[in-house]
Amino acid sequence: MDTKWKSIKRALSFLIFFLGVSLTLWNLSGLLRRMPERISAWKSGELLANDYQQSWEFQNHITNRLESFLSIAVNGCPSGWDYYGWDDYYDYGWNTATTDSMADSAVVLQEAQAMEDTIASYADILAAGEDYWENTDFWESNGVYDYEDYEEFLEEYEILIEDYQRYVTGRSVTESAPGDWSWTDDWSWESRQELTEKQRELRDQQMERMTRMYFADIEQDRNLLYSISSDGKLLYTNSELLVADGSMQAPEGYNFLLYFDGEKVRIMKDGQELDVYGDGYYRDEGRDWYVPGYRNFPVSDDMKKVVICMAAAKEPVLYTTGIDQSGGYRRQNNALYWMQYYNTRSWKLLRWNLTGFAAGLALLFFSCFCRKGRLEAIERIAVFQGKIWVECKLLILALLLAGGVSGYLGDGCYGYNVWYEFSYAYDVVCETGGAAEALGEYGGAILTSLLYMPLFLVLLFWAVYLTVNDLRHNKRIWRKGLIAKVCHAYSARELKLPLARRMVHRNVILSGVIAASGVWMLFVAVTFVHEYGGRWGSRKIGVIILWCLLITVCILAVAYLMGKKNVGVARDVDELSDRIREICNGNYSGNYGCSTGLQAEGTAAGDSHAETGDRERRFVGHELGDTMAQLENIRQGMASAVDEQMKSERMKVELIANVSHDIKTPLTSIISYVQFLKEEKDLPEHVQDYVKILDEKSQRLKNMVQDVFAVSKAASGELPMNMEKLDFGKLLRQTMADMDEEIQNSSVSFRAELPEEPVMIMADGQRMYRVFQNLFQNALKYSLAGSRVYVTLKTDATLAVASVKNTSHMELDEDKNFTERFVRGDKSRTDGGSGLGLSIAQSFTEACGGQFGIEFNADLFIVNISFGIVEG
Amino acid sequence: MSECILVVDDDREIVRAISILLEGEGYEVLKAYDGIQALDILASRQVRLVLIDVMMPKLDGLSALMRIREKQNIPVIVLSAKSEETDKVLGLSMGADDYVSKPYNPQELAARVKSQLRRYTCLGDVNAGNRIGEIRNGRLLYRTDEKVLYADGEPIRLTAKETGIMDLLMRNPGRIFPAEEIYRRVWEEDAFASENTVMVHIRRIREKLELNPKEPEYLKVVWGIGYKMEKH
Repeated sequence: MDTKWKSIKRALSFLIFFLGVSLTLWNLSGLLRRMPERISAWKSGELLANDYQQSWEFQNHITNRLESFLSIAVNGCPSGWDYYGWDDYYDYGWNTATTDSMADSAVVLQEAQAMEDTIASYADILAAGEDYWENTDFWESNGVYDYEDYEEFLEEYEILIEDYQRYVTGRSVTESAPGDWSWTDDWSWESRQELTEKQRELRDQQMERMTRMYFADIEQDRNLLYSISSDGKLLYTNSELLVADGSMQAPEGYNFLLYFDGEKVRIMKDGQELDVYGDGYYRDEGRDWYVPGYRNFPVSDDMKKVVICMAAAKEPVLYTTGIDQSGGYRRQNNALYWMQYYNTRSWKLLRWNLTGFAAGLALLFFSCFCRKGRLEAIERIAVFQGKIWVECKLLILALLLAGGVSGYLGDGCYGYNVWYEFSYAYDVVCETGGAAEALGEYGGAILTSLLYMPLFLVLLFWAVYLTVNDLRHNKRIWRKGLIAKVCHAYSARELKLPLARRMVHRNVILSGVIAASGVWMLFVAVTFVHEYGGRWGSRKIGVIILWCLLITVCILAVAYLMGKKNVGVARDVDELSDRIREICNGNYSGNYGCSTGLQAEGTAAGDSHAETGDRERRFVGHELGDTMAQLENIRQGMASAVDEQMKSERMKVELIANVSHDIKTPLTSIISYVQFLKEEKDLPEHVQDYVKILDEKSQRLKNMVQDVFAVSKAASGELPMNMEKLDFGKLLRQTMADMDEEIQNSSVSFRAELPEEPVMIMADGQRMYRVFQNLFQNALKYSLAGSRVYVTLKTDATLAVASVKNTSHMELDEDKNFTERFVRGDKSRTDGGSGLGLSIAQSFTEACGGQFGIEFNADLFIVNISFGIVEG
Repeated sequence: MSECILVVDDDREIVRAISILLEGEGYEVLKAYDGIQALDILASRQVRLVLIDVMMPKLDGLSALMRIREKQNIPVIVLSAKSEETDKVLGLSMGADDYVSKPYNPQELAARVKSQLRRYTCLGDVNAGNRIGEIRNGRLLYRTDEKVLYADGEPIRLTAKETGIMDLLMRNPGRIFPAEEIYRRVWEEDAFASENTVMVHIRRIREKLELNPKEPEYLKVVWGIGYKMEKH
């Protein structure tokens, strides 16, 4: 229950964070895009006022209208800008109500103007050409006739004339037959004048028609009232209510009034007069009204007699007129209505965005309080992420981002497209050739355009967030993936055996060559088909290429599988050699670390059958399974042999302990009563001799029992050790001092060569005393009378070696192992030793961690005992 | 009146040998051949010291020792064929006052018995507080003002150098002294080839002091380091 609640809490806190971030980003992007340019974010009152008259579009529309009216009043024709309007399909484009006819007339007008210009320029060029023809002397000053120059000129001139002919005959005047213009040879100024005159006529007709249509379009649109008069004479108006007398009285329902008196523009809005001109200078970038009357935008003389008055409705409505002839309806211009419509719509969206933004921020604020749950959830997510292949992650990431971008691309109604930015930037790159420059200039624009895409922005954020989360929690994410898997399958890093490594390396090369040749075959096939398969038909080509692709994929798969198998064999060989090495090193237990995931097994010899079966099952996957199993059998045999040996050693120690205890009890009585016998005064001489022998032998027996016990314990490793740091040299000196009496009483002399400074080793002092005591006793016992025993201690950086050298009083048998138990220099065993001296010395030294070595050279008998030096 | 000693062992010959030995020293010896007998005798007779074997039929030595310790505080010496350190530690921790391993040295056994008896009868409680100028360590007592060393209450005759060494060691029981330091402080000369000299003196003191000079209990050599007085 508790854990369930915890996981719910985790999920909730992450959900809050997710929603908070997503909402904030989405709406922030929306706000950035919809924020009216002319209203600062901090003027929230204006922002929320939903007044279409505040918009830039409205100001633009009014100024354009004014420009057109002025143009009509002065030239009799509206300026080109005002044909655009608003309707319910496009924010800003051709007004469908006016389109066809209006557009036609506008185009014709423009063409007419352009033609007039072209004709004029052609005429000029031709005149110039004639001039040139007449006046230019192709004889250069140096007297060489420049034939090429002349030819070139002729060519150009002819092309020009042809052009002109085609243009005039084909395009311009439908009323006149082309035949009228046969002036090629007798081309004259008069004919040119005539041409221009006709054009002008045409233009005037067009202009009249356009003006008529223009007013037909806007007349019935009562959202914008107007009255245009010139020289006191009213030219056009669509309302009797509008009084163009400068009284600034707007009719009922109209809260915006513009009045142009021939000098200045005055604007009244909601009963207040706006400051139109500011400081009197027009600036293109600001909120200035684009109307004449500024100091740097003066009124022309033609305009001085024109008076224009316009009024805009507070609440525009949609005007539609029923049409007579066609029987359909005709919509009026209605620009202000659509303006308000879109303004309201975007205002609503803006309000939604603001609300969403605030909600997102609030959720983010909340998520600060459940940070712990969120972090836990993130960790869970990271664990999940850790299980996904890195290739999958990259693919998902790419799909997400592409989806974000394409989702935006489909979103055409925003009228803004990221591809515009991209293609623009691309064009710039192509033109200027400076990618970095273009990026510097347009990268910002592209980034801004990305900011304006809500879905993309949110997806981008989560993509980055999840990637960072993944990278932070999952170490080495590249290790999990297809490529990593292939690399791992072909890796030779874990292999120790050089042969196995070589096998893997060869295999990598082989697989690589096969894979590369597969890909190359595909390439060749595709190139061939592409080059020569023209007549086969695209379908056949497709099938062939598909087959080729399939074969290549098969080759790749086979190469991979074979390679993997071969690497597996190399691994098995490596493991096999590893096992052999382990067994060589004396690890029979089978408990060593198994790199290939073989579980460690127990060494209980009891259920060896079950164990064997288990083991054989484990080798099933191996190529060398049989060999492994056989090796395993060998190992087990050795392990049980070693076990056996250890067990028998332990039993021997136990036996010796028991026997020595059993010997000790009667020995106690023997020693006690021999003692009493020794104290008897009245015994005959020879009996006293016997008693003496009994005493000696019983003492020796006692020593032997103790020695046997000690050596068997030491050999089985059960001797308790008391390791401490001690001075090797001092130990030797002490031992010699301890045995001083024996040495003095013997026939040999000791020569010691020991360093003064301490030589510190780790050992059990008591045991080492026993070692040297035995060695010295041996030396005393077996040395040639009158010879010297040399005791030396030599050190190097890491090792201290103590040597005891003596000259044996009898020949040394080179085949004899002196440290074996009960072995003595002579075979007769009558010299009083237990035969365990060297054996004890060796066992104790080794139990202390030292090394014991015996050398002999002729009669020189040397014992070396070495220990590692420890820091003082 | 001679002191009464109880000897317990399942080996009759050993009991007999010990009784001959101890009677020769002038003690009265009671004999028992298993733990039950021993407890019976202890219940009926006034015994001053017990010598007990470990491995016995009916009731083994250590169990008997525990029963004895429930009632009496007399010295008990454990006698055993088990000679390992662990056995000794076990015996001593069960309440034995001393531990002698078989085969024992008769003189040593007699000396140990004597020592235990003297400490029990003459000195009373071992744990009595030290008087000023006295250093007590087990069966040793050193009077610093007189510079006399007592073992089991009897003064030991030492030479001047030996007294010097014992003065140094008794004042610092447990501390390990390298031979050079002992030499410098007792001989008051620079140490040169001091090991032998010090060792000779130590050995002589041991012979006067220790019950078994070959296995010293007080004056110990710390091999490879120096010499020390073992704390008891």
